[in-house]
Amino acid sequence: MADTKLAFIVQRPQYKSENPKLGITHAIAYQTVEILLEDGETVTPALCFIGDGVLACLKDQKAMGNYEITSSEMHLKTALLVDLDVLVCKEDLERFGITEDKIVDAEDMGAEKKIQVVPFETIQKEMESAKHVLFF
Amino acid sequence: MKLGVFVSDFRNTVDTLDRLKAEKLGIILVQNGVYHASIKENGKSSPLLEKSANLYALSEDLETRGLTGSSVDSRVKVINYSDLVDLIFNDYEKLAWL
Repeated sequence: MADTKLAFIVQRPQYKSENPKLGITHAIAYQTVEILLEDGETVTPALCFIGDGVLACLKDQKAMGNYEITSSEMHLKTALLVDLDVLVCKEDLERFGITEDKIVDAEDMGAEKKIQVVPFETIQKEMESAKHVLFF
Repeated sequence: MKLGVFVSDFRNTVDTLDRLKAEKLGIILVQNGVYHASIKENGKSSPLLEKSANLYALSEDLETRGLTGSSVDSRVKVINYSDLVDLIFNDYEKLAWL
């Protein structure tokens, strides 16, 4: 049985381009879709936010109301609902003065999983242990 | 020249703004540019806010990103699309988009 670890690293703020959102949706896809895998093979994705990318994790985004597109918040809630590991860089949150209570959660949708606020060192280890590291 | 400059990025715009000369310079923060109005790095406001006395941020773009009017720097006036149209027609002769 082989497990392939993937690290999706979102480093840019959302909405200016589709690119950072693709990081989230691709990670969700790898967490949920098994159709292309051989028997006994697994893929374990981790979704990490660093740099300006951490701004995607703010609560109360109103993208649907204003842009008529799904918000990064909505995609992050979905990620938590499917038990995807979501890590956000502690140092970068602190740099922007963002406290943990301002971070997205999916409690209202019944998710037990939460976004993990971790030192960059932890994200670095996540990248080192992954077979593929994809930046968005 | 009365110049209104739309800033739609969070990075790489301050250097260009330094080169723009206008008797009246307005900086209109839209899209990801609104982060300049609200986000402080290491407790410091964006240096872009030092570039003009006429600073605006679009409320819809703030809301989209989960930012509230109360988090916006006091130097920045929060405006809606209707206010923006008024600015374009009444306050600035030329407009640029960075």
